[in-house]
Amino acid sequence: MAEDPRDKFHVLGRPTPKKDALLKASGRAEYADDIAMPGMLHGKLLRSPHPHARIVRIDSSRAAALPGVRAIVTGSDFPNIRYGNLPQTRDYLPLAIDTVRYIGDEVAAVAAIDEDTAEEALDLIQVEYEPLPAVFDPEAAMQPGAPQVHPLAPGNVSASSIFHFGDVETAFAKSDYVREDAFETQAVKQGMLEPHACIGMWDNIGKVTLWASKMSPYVVWRQLAMGLGIQPGSVRVVQTFVGGGFSGGKQEAMPMDFCAVLLSKKTGRPVKFVHGMDEVLTIGHMRHPMKIWLRTGTSADGRLLAQHCKLIANGGAYSSIGGFSMYLAGAMLNLPYRVPNIKFDAFRVYTNNGFCGALRGHTIPQLCFARDTQLELIAAELGLDPLEIRHRNAIQPGDVTANGFRIGTFAFDECIERVAETSGWREKRGKLPKYRGIGFGCGSHLSGARLMGHSASAAEIRVQEDGTVQLTTGSTDVGQGADTVLSMIAAEVLGVEAEDVRFTRVDTDSTPVDPGTFGSRVTFFTGNAVKRAAEEARRQLAEIAAQRMEANAEDLVFRGREIFNPRDERQRISLKDAVRWGAFRLGRIVSGRGVYAAGDENVDFRTGYGNLSPAYNPSACAVEVEVDPQTGQVAVVGFWGADDSGTPLNPLGVKGQVLGATVMSIGHALYENLIRVDGQVMNPSFRDYKMPLATDLPKLENFQHASVITWEPEGPFGAKESGQGAGTGVLAALANAIYDATGVRLTRLPMTPENILSGLKRVRETDRQRTP
Amino acid sequence: MAKGRFAQRGSIVKDLMTVSLRVNGILHEVAIRPWRTLLEVLRETLALTGTKRSCGEGQCGACTVLIDGRAVNSCLYLAAEAQGKDIVTIEGPVGGDPALEQIQRSFATKGAVQCGFCTPGMVMITKSLLAENPRPSEDEIRAALVGHLCRCTGYVQIVEAIQDAARELAPKGSY
Amino acid sequence: MTYLRRLPRFEFVSPDSLAEVCAMTAGASDGEVMLLAGGTDAILQMRRRERTPRRVIGLKGVAELAFVREQPDGSLALGAMTTLQTLLSAPVVRQRYDLLREATAQIGGQELRNVATVGGNIAGALPCADLPPVLMTLEARVRLSSQRGDRWVALEEFFPEFGRTVAVDGELVSEISLPRPAPNSAGTYLKFHDRQSMDMTVVGVSAFVVCEGETQVIRDIRLAYASAAPTVFRAREAEAVLRGCAMSEEGLEATAEMACKVSNPRTSWRANGEYRRELISSLTKRAIRHAWQKAVSRKGAAS
Repeated sequence: MAEDPRDKFHVLGRPTPKKDALLKASGRAEYADDIAMPGMLHGKLLRSPHPHARIVRIDSSRAAALPGVRAIVTGSDFPNIRYGNLPQTRDYLPLAIDTVRYIGDEVAAVAAIDEDTAEEALDLIQVEYEPLPAVFDPEAAMQPGAPQVHPLAPGNVSASSIFHFGDVETAFAKSDYVREDAFETQAVKQGMLEPHACIGMWDNIGKVTLWASKMSPYVVWRQLAMGLGIQPGSVRVVQTFVGGGFSGGKQEAMPMDFCAVLLSKKTGRPVKFVHGMDEVLTIGHMRHPMKIWLRTGTSADGRLLAQHCKLIANGGAYSSIGGFSMYLAGAMLNLPYRVPNIKFDAFRVYTNNGFCGALRGHTIPQLCFARDTQLELIAAELGLDPLEIRHRNAIQPGDVTANGFRIGTFAFDECIERVAETSGWREKRGKLPKYRGIGFGCGSHLSGARLMGHSASAAEIRVQEDGTVQLTTGSTDVGQGADTVLSMIAAEVLGVEAEDVRFTRVDTDSTPVDPGTFGSRVTFFTGNAVKRAAEEARRQLAEIAAQRMEANAEDLVFRGREIFNPRDERQRISLKDAVRWGAFRLGRIVSGRGVYAAGDENVDFRTGYGNLSPAYNPSACAVEVEVDPQTGQVAVVGFWGADDSGTPLNPLGVKGQVLGATVMSIGHALYENLIRVDGQVMNPSFRDYKMPLATDLPKLENFQHASVITWEPEGPFGAKESGQGAGTGVLAALANAIYDATGVRLTRLPMTPENILSGLKRVRETDRQRTP
Repeated sequence: MAKGRFAQRGSIVKDLMTVSLRVNGILHEVAIRPWRTLLEVLRETLALTGTKRSCGEGQCGACTVLIDGRAVNSCLYLAAEAQGKDIVTIEGPVGGDPALEQIQRSFATKGAVQCGFCTPGMVMITKSLLAENPRPSEDEIRAALVGHLCRCTGYVQIVEAIQDAARELAPKGSY
Repeated sequence: MTYLRRLPRFEFVSPDSLAEVCAMTAGASDGEVMLLAGGTDAILQMRRRERTPRRVIGLKGVAELAFVREQPDGSLALGAMTTLQTLLSAPVVRQRYDLLREATAQIGGQELRNVATVGGNIAGALPCADLPPVLMTLEARVRLSSQRGDRWVALEEFFPEFGRTVAVDGELVSEISLPRPAPNSAGTYLKFHDRQSMDMTVVGVSAFVVCEGETQVIRDIRLAYASAAPTVFRAREAEAVLRGCAMSEEGLEATAEMACKVSNPRTSWRANGEYRRELISSLTKRAIRHAWQKAVSRKGAAS
């Protein structure tokens, strides 16, 4: 784009501090665990020690007799209604009734006067289990005769996504070059700093209130109602400040939420639950570990002709959002490269491990790891430059992919070139000293998905008589900056400053229903809704101001907290005076509403065909590493990324999002691994589940990210997502960098020093055998 | 052994003990159980919830407070051990603390705060760092942060915020 | 699966003097009484219910146990309650015991170092503790105090088996003494872990070398290891290879081989025993090389 679209903006496009930053930085933001209510009790959950067992009997009498214990609940205290994230896979219960399916599965809950007592009470609850054979490996679980994790899932297949577009067999036959590679990825946890926390209250007239750290309060609202067997209207979910989520448990109703409200019902008091971090790391909610087989056929000049991807995901004991997870992996295999013929067979398998679901990037990073690693292998075999092969296959704006994605803006070529430029790729590639290497990796994401069920977002804007704006949506700020960018959008439309806009946290009693924060939908979907709501409010204000000033509404401009006619200086009024005049003289309230639902198109999740999102975004990056040849330790010494996130409405926020996603992926690639042995998590601790620290990253001058700016017409003021795409190419980039540095090609994550060292030994052995 | 309301040195007191804690300049006399950590007393007895409860193991730094000017994980420190010591938490002294406030401002303006859960700990270690080393190099800043986990920011904007705070707090032009 | 819980019930006492502490530990059985130094390990052990003492003796108030003192004979006396941070910033440590400074700087982060103590790092008897191998190569001796009096034990002999020290019957570590290092000597501590900081030591190697001034022959060499066996240990058989010899690649190779031979690294979900052996080998060579270079260049030499 020749000119920067942000030059037209007055508020948008400026780096804007997060609205609640000072509140948080001074310790005054109230998270769920910070809330204390009069008479509040403390809850603790009893968890299964067995990976698979029948619950024979629960005797809680000794626990109930412990002084300070006020109530105990078990699975049979709930109505035995299963709930879940997808209609066809509702397999969650608030507490297990007959069967526990993984170590950590919740069995009972206690409310007591303090945490110490609640913990002691758990020791006194006697549960008689009949251990059942368990299965931990998905391929073993698919075999006939394997223990069945769920009765209605033969072969333990929890979900599958199978599609075929075009004709891969013919395309393979026509390919000049075909190769197949296998990849394996590990279990990765969200790793947010705030453990799950909630306070439940069931009052004496049947209203259930849950204060909780949730990214999708309305999902929780519906699931709570279903699992409790009550009407959603009797449930109120109040979103507290969210201390990080990255999907997982904060996206849905958890056993703690159900138990908090039911224990409140039994005791007449509010009940608070907070997970210990070891509990957070032990329970389900994590990224799907996968085995991926990718077969790719190309022309001699490296054009992708066909891809056949088969994957088996270790889904764990429950479904969560797994059905969608499988679809999404294959769907996004269609980006950012053109693949005319594509076959995808994905199986999510139940095992007696903690269950998996969404986690920043969802199933896309794993697929990008496989695909972009293989692309490098193909390029090497065909004698093509790694950037050349990517350009050759790059999706272009206006494309329609094999699975029906209609691509709007997609500046992928520019992203590749920007990275090449900033990283010094062409100067470095092949010229770095031994054991130092640079690797490239690409990926993509989308801006909100059209899921089945409720996908739309709504916003309400009220302009108050002091000229400030009350902005209400059902979307949550979870730290990503939604509060700020949505306020900025409203401010831009209404001609005020972002600080004039107050952003409400979600309360299902008063905010509009909304899917919540996930899938990078908020800036896009809710942003569009906010824009529409603000435009409606502006229209109303223009009418009022026009009447007041005897002007034409169409002539009026909103800027600098004023409404004026640029061609007539006499026609000027402050925004707040217009509101007041309208309120006091005309009795009008300025209230605009907007909804954005991204159209009527739907994806046919059975065939996999359909335009999943209104916008897609490419990501490219290069990583430079230095490997210690005697220990295998990797130091990440440089990172350069470029993303087309449309028009960055808050560059300060976009920077935080892309860098944050990048660092999460670095952890995923090198350090993180939730190790399970026979269903037991061995490292449920931040000491042993290792996430990147400040010393694991390149220095500032070598850690850079660029925005390739486009104007996405579907997005609010041209914007697209920035929180997830940036992490998708990093895994392959690191794998490719390590290969460049050492000649060790790793296809399994994490890429640990141990694996690199054994790879180095093999490489040295091969070299030794080659040299005469 | 002498018993009494006050936890005298050398006396063994069963169950509740009285401890005097000077927190943010204010002296609190609290009756607590000996096995309460400083974090628990700050949050649950004194309602100073700015200091966060997270990993409970001294890995994440969300519970960092200053004890006699030194950064300490309050989740691994008994409240009883803090008797007679000067404790500073994120809430800061009642009269205000210009250095603390500058650090908080820098964190806000540089985008160092996303979900905010690591932020109080980050601010406290920054205060401790800059008090001891007013002109830290980038490496020194990163080294100071190893006891702190952030999952949201990737640390870049946090490092930039600390550099900004150092610049603002240092005599003009010296950093 | 043991989840971390709130601390168990205990009485807490905060004595002022070493004599008081000894009076409290006298006659108390192992499980009844616990000494709380820095707390960074002990509190977690209690939260896991691995230890449930009836009485916790807080040592942070025993001022007489926190000191860094240069003795008239040139040796260094460290009180057991000296924090790692104090150690790091003590001028005499920086000037004369650079190995100790280097190792301490690699332990944890600021918060940990501000409370963790030298005594605690030794008394915990963890095979992955970093200071014991370093102090062994500095030929440290440990003073054990009890109501019966004091006795000194060479640190090298302090850990008879996994998880145990030679302290008995109410004894506690009260002081660590380091002889004055010989001229033309230096050491280095290499601690391996996946991330750049904070991790538990996968393998730790402390190498201390004393050189002949003129010939640069290795007059003395000391090697000690963390996470290479059930206890921290000094690898005397490996030292014997290069002691009295000139530095050479073959010598390093042979030393590394011997070090692997006398090590007994375990395979756990944390790391593979074979991989640890690789690290023991590489890091032994690297550590000795580095220490020797420092010694001959007088950069780390004692004055």
